Amino acid sequence: MTLLANLFAIFRKELQSYFLSPLAYVVGGLFWLLSGIVFVYLLLSPNGIIQEVAIGEQSGIPMPPVDVAYIFLLRYLGIIGSLTSFVVPLLSMGLYAEERKNGTLELLATSPLTNWVVALGKLLGVLMFYITLLIPMLILELVAFAAADPPVPPAVPLLAHLGLILLAAALLSLGMFLSSLTHSNIIAAILTFVVVLLLAIMDLVGRQLGQPFEGAIAQISLIKHYENYVQGIFDSSSLFVFASYIFLGIFLTAQSIEILRFQRS
Amino acid sequence: MIEVEHLSKSYGPHAAIEDVFFTVEPGEILGFLGPNGAGKTTTMRILSGYLPASSGTARVAGYDVHTQSMAVRQRIGYLPENPPLYNEMTVLGYLHFVAQIKGVSAGDRRQRVDLAIQQCSLETETQTLIGRLSKGFRQRVGLAQAIVHNPPVIILDEPTVGLDPRQIMEVRKLIKGLAGNHTIILSTHILPEVSMTCDRVAIINHGKIVATDAPDTLMEELIGRLGYAVEVGGMSQLLTQKLMAISGVREVTVEEIPDSAHTRLQITCHGETEPGSAIANAIIKSGCQLHEMRRTRATLEDVFLELTTEEEPLPIADTAIDKADADDPELIVDP
Repeated sequence: MTLLANLFAIFRKELQSYFLSPLAYVVGGLFWLLSGIVFVYLLLSPNGIIQEVAIGEQSGIPMPPVDVAYIFLLRYLGIIGSLTSFVVPLLSMGLYAEERKNGTLELLATSPLTNWVVALGKLLGVLMFYITLLIPMLILELVAFAAADPPVPPAVPLLAHLGLILLAAALLSLGMFLSSLTHSNIIAAILTFVVVLLLAIMDLVGRQLGQPFEGAIAQISLIKHYENYVQGIFDSSSLFVFASYIFLGIFLTAQSIEILRFQRS
Repeated sequence: MIEVEHLSKSYGPHAAIEDVFFTVEPGEILGFLGPNGAGKTTTMRILSGYLPASSGTARVAGYDVHTQSMAVRQRIGYLPENPPLYNEMTVLGYLHFVAQIKGVSAGDRRQRVDLAIQQCSLETETQTLIGRLSKGFRQRVGLAQAIVHNPPVIILDEPTVGLDPRQIMEVRKLIKGLAGNHTIILSTHILPEVSMTCDRVAIINHGKIVATDAPDTLMEELIGRLGYAVEVGGMSQLLTQKLMAISGVREVTVEEIPDSAHTRLQITCHGETEPGSAIANAIIKSGCQLHEMRRTRATLEDVFLELTTEEEPLPIADTAIDKADADDPELIVDP
């Protein structure tokens, strides 16, 4: 019971700190702006998907019927996924680096809390803040999908957004670990960005190599599993991979804090 | 309540503390006194469970700080050297957060936080962001954080640093008021703090405990060392021998005064002897001129210097001089 209470205390404190941080507002604002621009561009611009389908129909060439809403979701969440990988390092950088810089880690480390509870609470806090960043996007989508004909089955966008949240959670978890390695927010952000980039490069290289490498890398590629979810494929192995990344991040964070205490001068 | 035995901690080849030992009885205030870098913070961090010791044991309330860390953490309040504060939180929000993670039940939380605010005189600042507080208030919030969950053991690393004289008095009063119900260990490099607030003092130097005793007893040890500061002209080797021959004289140190024909002598005596007139006589008879002669007495400062200085024992300072040219504001403020 106290474990849950502690978890909630850390979660609330962490979430609160984002709502009190000017940087978080800047990051959130940019994320909203860009996700809004991308939304309008993909849907309504002259190169947008509606125009595309209209031109196809006018040309008179017989084409298979297109599920506009589905194609839009694929493209839109693909871009939001990339945008997320830019936002994550900025959100996760302060998780531990800030505590180390201010000496507040000493408070957490001498309170009756385990490293695991602190790490999990922090991850849930930052993830919740990320989820709040998605709210305007969800409203836009609701409006657009309400007009779709045939109607969009709610399971498809739900699964896609679940994938997005899992992707963010996995990246934030790794970012949290990297943040626990340093006193400096900037270094933590750069390290996290490098890791995110490496994951993307690994995914790209895997696709170029062909089998059997392609299949092997696809197994552990966050991007590949994210795409599965966005396409509406619920695969428990994808869930397992996301969970593994999240667990790995929390585990490494707990260990790194433990080691930090052993070598601290 | 606190038992420390053979505690050592080394960082690579460098030993931060070595074979540190002391005990603190329930309800007692132990002052942990030492120059900067002597190992005070390291010892405090080990006691709080933040650092593991390289060897030795430390027990708080009967629990080993390393193997039963959680049990210890529930029973201590700890103020590190730099108060661990979240700048973006309000004082009230911060104290509620600390109370929560320290395991204060939801029902008692409000009352405990209010009490800590009152004890640390933070009533006017409850809604202020911690980042906007002055150094003194930050220190007090740090103190409130250490006592908010009413822990049986309170560990304070330099609790009065950065406070103005008035606040120092208040904090000392608060610490004294907490004793009895709480066992307190506080570190400091300020001497009057120890004699004023602590029941016992442990002096640490270069990572080793050099003395543990009541401040009064420690002073008594040296108080016997009444002495005289003498300035003479025409100093000779013979005079030293003559002085040493006087009954009651224990030690004579000779120091040339630069750019002057005078010499300063520091004469240390055995307790309760008053060989002042004999000393004066001896100086005059040996044909030297007596320019100045003062009686000197040990202060805790001397005990401290004596125990922590590696050179020969320093001449015992004159108390009158001590008060007059003290540049440490501590000494001016305290009665």
